[in-house]
Amino acid sequence: MMSDGEAKRSQPEALFWLLRRRTETAIVMEIALIALLFIVGFLVSDDFRTIDNVVNIIEQSTGLAFVALGQTVVILSGGIDLSLDATIALTSSLLSGAVNGRADLAAPMIAAVLAIGLTIGLVNGTLILLLRVHPLIVTLAVAAIVQGSVLLYTLMPIGGMPDGFDQFAFGRVFNIPIGAGVAVLCFAGVAFVLGYTRLGRQIFAFGGEPDAARLVGIPVSRVVLFVYGLSGLLASLTGIYLVSRLGIGNPTGDTNFNLASITPVVLGGTPLTGGRGGVLGTLLGVFLVQTLNNVLNFLDVSTFYQWMIQGLIVIVAVSIFVEKRRRAA
Amino acid sequence: MSTAASAKPKFHAYRVGEFVERNGLPLFCAVLTVGAALFAPGFRSPNNLQNVLTNAAPLGVVVLGQCLVILVRGFDLSVASVMATAAVIATSFDETTDWSVIPILGVSLLMAFVVGSVNGYLVTQRKVSPFLATLAVMIVLQGIRFAWTKGAPSGRVPELIRVIGSQAIYAVPINLMLLVSLATIVGIMLHRTAFGRKIYMVGGNPRAAELVGISVNWITFSCYVLSSVLAALGGLVLVGYVGSVDNWVGRGYELNSIIATVMGGVSLRGGRGTVFGALVGAFVLTEIFNIALLLGFPVQFQWVVKGVVILLAVAVYLAAHRSR
Repeated sequence: MMSDGEAKRSQPEALFWLLRRRTETAIVMEIALIALLFIVGFLVSDDFRTIDNVVNIIEQSTGLAFVALGQTVVILSGGIDLSLDATIALTSSLLSGAVNGRADLAAPMIAAVLAIGLTIGLVNGTLILLLRVHPLIVTLAVAAIVQGSVLLYTLMPIGGMPDGFDQFAFGRVFNIPIGAGVAVLCFAGVAFVLGYTRLGRQIFAFGGEPDAARLVGIPVSRVVLFVYGLSGLLASLTGIYLVSRLGIGNPTGDTNFNLASITPVVLGGTPLTGGRGGVLGTLLGVFLVQTLNNVLNFLDVSTFYQWMIQGLIVIVAVSIFVEKRRRAA
Repeated sequence: MSTAASAKPKFHAYRVGEFVERNGLPLFCAVLTVGAALFAPGFRSPNNLQNVLTNAAPLGVVVLGQCLVILVRGFDLSVASVMATAAVIATSFDETTDWSVIPILGVSLLMAFVVGSVNGYLVTQRKVSPFLATLAVMIVLQGIRFAWTKGAPSGRVPELIRVIGSQAIYAVPINLMLLVSLATIVGIMLHRTAFGRKIYMVGGNPRAAELVGISVNWITFSCYVLSSVLAALGGLVLVGYVGSVDNWVGRGYELNSIIATVMGGVSLRGGRGTVFGALVGAFVLTEIFNIALLLGFPVQFQWVVKGVVILLAVAVYLAAHRSR
């Protein structure tokens, strides 16, 4: 499409310069916005400045953090995963429905739903490789099948978890919420893979220039299977986290994670075209979005306007970054 | 890839692939209909057939627009939100007189024009990917709609919209006649005018289109506006069929319209496919849902059917395209 831009990007130095500049800008902006939101929060409400509320924001961020991490890696590889809502619906309702309060079933079922999430991701990856159509279509189709299966399994939230399972969401180790700790560890692990392993390099290369990547012999199928598998696995983690937080699974798939997972990625400076960006921006993006929602709650802004604001933020963020890229190229 | 030995089978495969791509879906439609008439009890009844056609019409109207956008290498995920918003608008005026149809139509089309323009602006001027642009616009529109109705829309639509959406003249549903006239207009525009030719050129090869002096941005922009306008009309037709309004009228139509269009042979890579094909896609999809219900599967099963159908359709077209 942009031949001169591609020529520039083929030079590694230029690529990394652009990458660093772009993500750094986004991260600085995110930190500034978070700071701004905290100032606003401090001004408008006494309740905002409690430790409890900050912990609350972190807990609300955790569920989103897992899927957003998976979405980031998929988007870095130039794809998109829209089967997240369905995967979360399946894993969460299957977990609470099958365990149904029996403590001895909890561990095997957690392992089972993690495997199911991974499998859904791998199916996505396989179909994308086989059919060679836009990942959007494949993941939506898989999502429809998965969502239908969940609703055939149950129309209402069913079952429940044994006592103590809510520790994943509400427990603390040295005052750090366990779920959030796990999420940060996942981010660190993925950041390591992206930054310091061959596979990470291959994901960036495939996302930036799929045809060139194929020509220089990058194992495309391995990359695609890895990113969608990881995304499915992380979506099932979100499902487990939600069950832990809410006590029961939600089969309707109304969780809106498909768009919600894209917002922090875009805010974090990872363009939907892939090949550039990183997970730190996404982590801050998740925190930024939830802080915003929290402040808006304190301001008594209804959920409806919160949607609107979220959509507008995506539009603005995407538009700004496109402008930058065009100038740079 | 190509060796001398494969020359003969290639010639043969060329014809099969070409044939499947051109005529596969109408053929499948015929087989499906005959099969259903033979094996699914109740499918043959005039009532049910009329029902299928009435159900297919709103989807068909939306598919017309989706087809235009996909032809220029885009998607429009905001169609369902536009439909629901048009439905809410339809209940916001005096329901006792049919004259309210005029302001309803005016406001709906204006809303659709604005939404389509924002989509088109984001895609052409800001170079946002169609998927993200229309998704974000969908969410914003959804927020506006919920804020306007305070989450609980109410009211009824004027009788005229009810009649258009659900009645039939001599067993031909009125909304089907509406669909056929709209399809004729869009079909003529697409296949018989310079504007339509330009849409195919932009979709087939945007760079070449730009070089021969076609304003790619303008053509793309128009397609997004037309898609929103047709989605609004589809929403009015649908709310006339449903009769009452909620915030989710038209839910699932974004995916269904894309599925129908792709099934109908409109390539996601742009520039290939016809309005007729896309419409057949809409009918086949509705027919499949209907048959699944008649065979006693629960409604939720439609989701599974949807997913399987789209994967199969994509696989068949891939195979057909490869063998050419």
